[in-house]
Amino acid sequence: MASTIDSRTAADSRRPSLIRRRIEIAAGIGLFAALAIIARFVAGEGSGTDALTTSLVLGALFGFVLQRSRFCFFCAIREYIDERKADGVLGILAALAAGAAGYTIIFGSWLPDPSTGRLAPDAFIGPVSWVLAAGGLAFGAGMAISGSCVSAHLYRLGEGSPTSPFAIIGTVLGFAVGYATWNELYLVAISDAPVIWLPNHLGYAGSLALALLVLGALALVLLYRSERPASTAGGPPQPLRAIFLERWPGWIGGIAVAAIATASYLRVAPLGVTADLGGRGRQLGEYLGFVPSHLNGLDRLRGCAAIAQEALLSPNGLFVVGMIVAAFAASLVAGQFRPTWPTLSQIVRGLSGGFLLGWGAMVALGCSIGTLLSGIMAGAVSGWVFALAMFAGLFIAHRIRQALT
Amino acid sequence: MKNVVSLVSSGAVALLLTAAAAVLPAKAEIPAGPLVSTEWLDKNIDNPNLRLVEVSVEPGLFERGHVPGAQNIVWHTDLVDTVRRDIATQEQFQELVRKLGIDDDKTVILYGDNNNWFAAWGAWVFNTYGIDVKLLDGGRKKWEAEKRPLSTRATSVAASTIELPEANPKLRARLSDVLEVVDGKDDAVLVDIRSADEYSGKLFSAPGSAELAVRAGHVPGAINVTWSKAVAEDGSFKSPEDLKKLYSDAGIDGSKPIIVYCRIGERSSHTWFLLSKILGYDVRNYDGSWTEYGNTVGLPVVNQAGTVWGVK
Repeated sequence: MASTIDSRTAADSRRPSLIRRRIEIAAGIGLFAALAIIARFVAGEGSGTDALTTSLVLGALFGFVLQRSRFCFFCAIREYIDERKADGVLGILAALAAGAAGYTIIFGSWLPDPSTGRLAPDAFIGPVSWVLAAGGLAFGAGMAISGSCVSAHLYRLGEGSPTSPFAIIGTVLGFAVGYATWNELYLVAISDAPVIWLPNHLGYAGSLALALLVLGALALVLLYRSERPASTAGGPPQPLRAIFLERWPGWIGGIAVAAIATASYLRVAPLGVTADLGGRGRQLGEYLGFVPSHLNGLDRLRGCAAIAQEALLSPNGLFVVGMIVAAFAASLVAGQFRPTWPTLSQIVRGLSGGFLLGWGAMVALGCSIGTLLSGIMAGAVSGWVFALAMFAGLFIAHRIRQALT
Repeated sequence: MKNVVSLVSSGAVALLLTAAAAVLPAKAEIPAGPLVSTEWLDKNIDNPNLRLVEVSVEPGLFERGHVPGAQNIVWHTDLVDTVRRDIATQEQFQELVRKLGIDDDKTVILYGDNNNWFAAWGAWVFNTYGIDVKLLDGGRKKWEAEKRPLSTRATSVAASTIELPEANPKLRARLSDVLEVVDGKDDAVLVDIRSADEYSGKLFSAPGSAELAVRAGHVPGAINVTWSKAVAEDGSFKSPEDLKKLYSDAGIDGSKPIIVYCRIGERSSHTWFLLSKILGYDVRNYDGSWTEYGNTVGLPVVNQAGTVWGVK
């Protein structure tokens, strides 16, 4: 990934002509307008369109925020490991903390008493087993190999990344193979794995306090053990420039992500980006004949992988479309849309890393957004387990890659 | 001091009387009959004698917005015995009804998604335990289509201490009751409310539902009146006159007892509700339905399509 960022800086230093910048900005604004028109078109008469429109709008906001703040799990963690820059990871921690608070507010209204043992409706609270950990490890390794997690590949698609298209293809394939291995894994480990929701045991206040305590402690350690960014001379940048051209500070992106996650859970479903991709993988696998048509227990489990895709437009599909288009528009306006032809190594890394991302996200019932972000915000132990395993997978694969090059 | 106390207490009595006066006519305004319209409910939503309850099948639907003041019943667990295939036990259901603040003075109105299927199932269970409930005609679908307000706030009510009677067996048909009709020992009418393709045996289950029966077709002698024929475009029931004609054209005029069934008993609750509550016929719901009958060894089925094990 370092190479992509470096090449972008190089491109920036070449100073694109003023005319080109004007065209880019106009095209970016045009794309935002197009999104608004599509949203209006989708918001037809009849029930069910509300979820579609809301998903498209939230997806667009999410894509914009990810592109502007470079909210990317791999880049953030890599920047800390290699350069001791903590800004990105602090952004992720801010997202988790603010999102946990937002979820708690919703939970209090939806399920006033969590001690009954009931789970909050359709939150991402998954079974905790070694399969979840294996999925997290594979997902983390896939991030290190392909250079991003699934959500970051989606916004990078909008920036013209040469690796991301292949990573997305790899992800769909990985999902299909995940479905093919699912029935066996379900019987061996998942069917009797515990589904642990912290508010059931600690109450909402206890669960939130624990999450804030852990996240706060992590943030303190990171602040203590990181390079201080050089203080920006000349005060804060001019507002339009700060919003549309410069990279947002990590914590602002994180809080924006938390707001979108809370709104999404309140109105449509928990934030997630792989349900639609996974559904396509399932269709593909069934069509090619290696995914069984019956998947044990899958429709019962909550997560990003559950539903077979039938409709052309699903809320999650529109969320992803909104995300890609808005990230594309944001990168045009910022002058960061720099498509390049892929090299063979980028194709191989995209496909193989994407494959691991897809398999991991399928067996873990979601990716770094659904299982990790939405899971931890909801107080699910599965979110924390996935996070630990993902970090381990990422760290090991990243170190191996560094040793090989 | 005494004067103050008596002043306060007489004031309190006066207040109570005014409150009672305000409440009593409101109670009288609740229309008789098994249905309330969305328009009526919208105007009377603050009536303290109403207990509005949503019974939907899709998780998260109630929480993301319900008719203001409604409480929630989770169909998957609240209305069924989770171990035996059965309706909720008296004890379990009584606890639920108390929590919902329902007693003899309250009027219960149910509504839900999917054309009130699960609300109708709820109505059947409530009636089985002696509580006569009304349905919101048209359910969520009509309420939303008319752009009436929704709320995400939780409703809290004081719990009641109601004592429920034993389950009334007269509202429910068992497999043995159905077999008596098949064998000609009972002259009740069997009504299969599934789609024509399920009735003929072309389909083992409605599209989107799992194929849970080994045989397709219908119970010998059953008459097919698909549930949806009783429903208008907006999801509300057709007029009682139209409903009467619909069923009498099919040979069902209420002169004989009726048994309704479908696949698992929830769509047939919809027909149970209209035949027994709107038309006043003697109806039992066979909740074992096709997933019990079509799987039972040794029973005859009529399969016009000739499908066996899912193929011809």
